[in-house]
Amino acid sequence: MANSGAQTDNIYWHYTPNINYSLGLDYQRDKISGEAFPSARLTYLINRKNTTTSQRNLYLKTGIGLDNSTNHFYALAGDWETRRLFAGFSAKQVSGMGYELFEQSVKLGIAPYLGAYGDLHTWLMIESKKDNLDDRRITYPVLRFFKGGALIEVGYHKKTDWDVHLMYRF
Amino acid sequence: MKKFLLAALLLAATASQAAHHEMGHMHSHEGHVHDTMVDGQKLSVDAERFDNFVSAVPGDQIVVISVQGMVCDFCARGIEKTFGKDSSVTKIDVDLASGKVLLSYSPDTEIDRASIEKNILNNGLNTTAIQVVEK
Repeated sequence: MANSGAQTDNIYWHYTPNINYSLGLDYQRDKISGEAFPSARLTYLINRKNTTTSQRNLYLKTGIGLDNSTNHFYALAGDWETRRLFAGFSAKQVSGMGYELFEQSVKLGIAPYLGAYGDLHTWLMIESKKDNLDDRRITYPVLRFFKGGALIEVGYHKKTDWDVHLMYRF
Repeated sequence: MKKFLLAALLLAATASQAAHHEMGHMHSHEGHVHDTMVDGQKLSVDAERFDNFVSAVPGDQIVVISVQGMVCDFCARGIEKTFGKDSSVTKIDVDLASGKVLLSYSPDTEIDRASIEKNILNNGLNTTAIQVVEK
């Protein structure tokens, strides 16, 4: 997966041995500090609840710099979705790189149509973020498209410019 | 201005796709549930989809799995990949709308319900029913 946003650009590859966790390698360019560095990441599924029409997840995520272990982050994230609705949150603490960042975000979405398996799926979303470096909350629209194993998510805010997320699941 | 036009274009494309899908789905679902009883329960599947599936694999054993948590294509792809590795599975159909997975097995296969349930669980989903349809 690849992400490009106001604070970082990164490319991230991960492997999921089982549903409980995934391990990954991430290469990130931090736009605030100007540093670029590789890190190892772990995502752990704390809890999942499935129903006939929904899935709810709670994750713990953490990562550590491979060439500088003072660069690290940990986050608590969760989501709930049906085929029509999506709600997610994240609370992330980033340390090292000469600054401390605490970022919290919430994302809500709705699918304007329900595609069958294999169709192009579309989500209209809104994301709201706030961090300690800039005390203002920013809220912006996000469009998510996915088909097969490919997902693209594009958001825009006049303050942070484009926020792009690309993912392919092998 | 350019950004506004791009956003408007994306929204228009989405609305067009929505209209296309909604028009395709404007049909009655009455009579789309088979009255076949399997294991003491009604076989609740889309009749047309089930018939199409069965007719493509004449003579094979048909298994209908009711799945919880299957809310997106990523979930469905995982199921398809998992059962696709089983050489005794001759056809797979994942129906997101109904939360059903249809599998066909070669006639001489002994259906292992525990293994099926385990495969579903290994994909992070839950099984509520496994129905083997008598030939």
